[in-house]
Amino acid sequence: MNLPVEQKRTFLERIYLVEIVKGLAITLRHALHNLFKQDFETFEYPDVRKEMPERYKGAHRLTTRPDGRVKCVACMCCAQVCPAKCITIEAGELDDDPIEKYPVEFQIDMLRCIYCGFCVEACPKDAIRMDTGIYEINAFTRQDMIHDKAYMTDLMAGKKPLAESFYRAHQDAAPPGYDLEEDRVLPVDEPRGL
Amino acid sequence: MPTVKIDGIEVEVPAGTNMIEAARKVGIDIPHYCYHPHLSIAGNCRMCLVDVEAGGRGPDIACNMMARDGLAIRTDTPQVATMRRATMEFLLKNHPLDCPICDQSGECRLQDYYMEYGQYESRLSDPKVTKHKRVDIGDHLVLDAERCIACSRCVRFGDEITGTGELRLFNRTDHTEIGIFPGARIQHDYQGNLADICPVGAITNKDFRFTKRVWYLKETDAVCTECATGCNVRVCHQQGQVFRLLPRRNDAVNKSWMCDHGRQAFEAITGLDRLLRARVQGQPADLDDAVAAAATLLREAGGGVAVVLGHSASNEANWALLKLTRDNLPNATVYAVAGNDPGAWDRSDDFLMDADKNANSAGIAALMAHDPAIRDRSDLVQALADGDVDVMLVLGDDVLGRLGADGAGVRVIHVGSFRCTTSDAATVVLPAAHPYEQDATWTNRDRRVQRGRRAIHPAGDSEPAWALMERLGAALGKAPGATSAAAAFKSLASSVESFSGMTYQSLGNGGAVLASPPSPPTDDEDALETIHA
Repeated sequence: MNLPVEQKRTFLERIYLVEIVKGLAITLRHALHNLFKQDFETFEYPDVRKEMPERYKGAHRLTTRPDGRVKCVACMCCAQVCPAKCITIEAGELDDDPIEKYPVEFQIDMLRCIYCGFCVEACPKDAIRMDTGIYEINAFTRQDMIHDKAYMTDLMAGKKPLAESFYRAHQDAAPPGYDLEEDRVLPVDEPRGL
Repeated sequence: MPTVKIDGIEVEVPAGTNMIEAARKVGIDIPHYCYHPHLSIAGNCRMCLVDVEAGGRGPDIACNMMARDGLAIRTDTPQVATMRRATMEFLLKNHPLDCPICDQSGECRLQDYYMEYGQYESRLSDPKVTKHKRVDIGDHLVLDAERCIACSRCVRFGDEITGTGELRLFNRTDHTEIGIFPGARIQHDYQGNLADICPVGAITNKDFRFTKRVWYLKETDAVCTECATGCNVRVCHQQGQVFRLLPRRNDAVNKSWMCDHGRQAFEAITGLDRLLRARVQGQPADLDDAVAAAATLLREAGGGVAVVLGHSASNEANWALLKLTRDNLPNATVYAVAGNDPGAWDRSDDFLMDADKNANSAGIAALMAHDPAIRDRSDLVQALADGDVDVMLVLGDDVLGRLGADGAGVRVIHVGSFRCTTSDAATVVLPAAHPYEQDATWTNRDRRVQRGRRAIHPAGDSEPAWALMERLGAALGKAPGATSAAAAFKSLASSVESFSGMTYQSLGNGGAVLASPPSPPTDDEDALETIHA
C-alpha cells in the first residue's frame, strides 16, 4: 500500500498571499456565473420536482398477475431478510387455484423500513418492487404509515392530497400511469427500472 | 458387543445396531431419507451409501449394514461425496420448485442435503413429470405427490404402526407416485405422524398449513397432559403463541409418535373455556382479593373442609396443596377423586391413547401411598351425601362433574385452567396456568416422572398451580415455602419416599421411574438372580 508522501510547500505557498487570492478568485467566479447564468441546483419543491433516477428506491408496491391478484405467494422471504423486521404477512390458502398460497394481509411499517431493498432482492416471484419513485411517504398517524396490501397493490389510491394538487399543476412530472381524475397510479405492467 | 470402525474412530455398539445409529454415536451424520429408527428398514433411497474399508464389500447402504466385528466404513471419501451428489440429482430430478409455498421448507431434508452434498448444475432438459398436487388424503393431511421421493416411510407407518395400510406407491420408475387406495381415506388417530416422518413436503399437516414458516418457531421440550401416557412433545411457539406440537423421541414412552388429539390440544390455551381471571361470587376479581377470599372461606368454614387433589395437576401442585392442608387446616380431609371429567375426550386404544385422561394418576397414587389419610372417591360421595362438607378446595379436576353432584350447600374454591361444572358452581375461582405455560412434572401410567418446561408465559392472570398454593398458604398463615417449581419438586422429593433422590436435573429429558414400594423379601435364590441379571 502506497501512503501519500507529504509534499514540501514551495516558497509561494508558504507566504500564503498568492493562495488566498486564488481562493477568492474561485468564489468570485461562482458569484459572477450565478449572477448571469442562473442554472442553480436548487429545486423549488414542491412546485418543481426532481426527476428521480430509475433505480431510486421509493415506496413499495405489490405487483399483480394479469387477473389482478397479487403475485405474492406469502413465502416470507422478504420478511425473513428484512433487517428492520418491518414486514408482516399473514398467509392463506386459495382453494381453487394451483398457486395454493397467497397473502391474506401484507403490511410494511414504513416508519421502520430503512429502504435497503433487500425485500425486492429476496422475492422469488418479483412480487414486490420499490420502483414507484415515490419519496413522499408521510402521514398524520402512525397507523397510516403502515402500508397494507390494498394500498401497495393499488398505490396512492385515496391518499396523497399533496400529490394530487402537485400533479394538477405539473402534469408532466406525474409518474407513468398516474390518473389525475382518480388521483392514483393505475397498474403498469411494464417495469420501471431494474 | 461388536466393535466397528467409522472414519477411523472405533466404537462399540450393541449387536443389531446399524451403521447410521453407530455413526450417530460418534457424532458422524450419515444422510438418509427412508431409514427411520422406529420403522423397518427399506433401503430404497440410497442416500446412506458408504464405503466399506474392511469386513465387507462396498459401497453399501449404512442403514442395512448391521454392526459386526471387524467392520470398518468410511463416510469421508471422494467416492462417497460423488455417490451422495448423484443420489440427490436423481431424487431432485422431478421435484418441483415449490419451496416458497411448501410448509416443509426450513425443515426439509432435500433442502438440507442439497446444500450439504448437492450443489450441482441442473442437467435436465426435458420437462419434469407432473403428478397429483394437493390431494386430500385424510382429515389432517394434504398430499403433494410431486414432492414425494418415494422413500416409503409413510407406507411402512401405515403397515407397521397403525396397521391400516391406506398408503401405497403406485406406478413405476419416475412415474412412481404415493397415494391412497380409492375410498381408503386415512382416518386413524395418528395422522400427524405421517407429516412428521415425511422427510420432504409430500405429506403436510392440514392444521398447520400455511400458518407459520417453521424457522420462526422456537421449540420447548414439554410433556403432553391429555392422557395418562404422557407423550413427550416439543412445543413450537413464537411470541407467546403456540403454533404446533411435535412428538419428541422417548423410546420408553411414545417412541417418535403422538396422537392427533394431543397434537391439537394446544388450541385450548387460547380457547373460550380458558379461565384467565380470578372470580369471587361469579364476579371478576383481583388475584390477591380472590386468594384472600379463599383463605377466609377455608378459615371460617362452618362444617368440614374437603381438599381434593388434582389427577391432572402436576406433582408440584398436588404436593403444595397437600402440604398447605397439613400445615394450616388440621381438620380438613384430603380426597382424591379418580375418573374422567365429563365431556372429556373419550377415544382410547392400546397404543398411546390411554383410557385414563388424567396426566398424573400415578403421581396421586404415589401421594396416597405416602399419606394413608387421603380418602378416595367413595368417601367424598359419602361425605357430600351426609352434608359433612361445607367448603371444598378443588385442584384442577371437575370434581362435581365427576361425582354427578350439584354442589348445593357446598362452597367451592376451584383452582383450574378451564371452565367446568365445578368452576361454574365455585364461590372462588383461581386461574391456573396451562401445562405448556409452566415448569412442572407429571407421572405417567408407567410411573415415569416426566418434566415439562415452560414454553410461553401464563395467559391472563393465571399462575402455575403450585404458585397459587403458595399464595393461599401465605394467606392462611404458613406457605409450603417453595420459590420455584424446582424447589417445590425438591420439597416433594425430600418428603415422599417414591420420589426420593429425584431432581429436575436427574429427570433430564427422558424422565425417571418412581421407586417401587419395597417388595416383601424372598428366599428364592433363583428369583433374586433373575432380578439382578
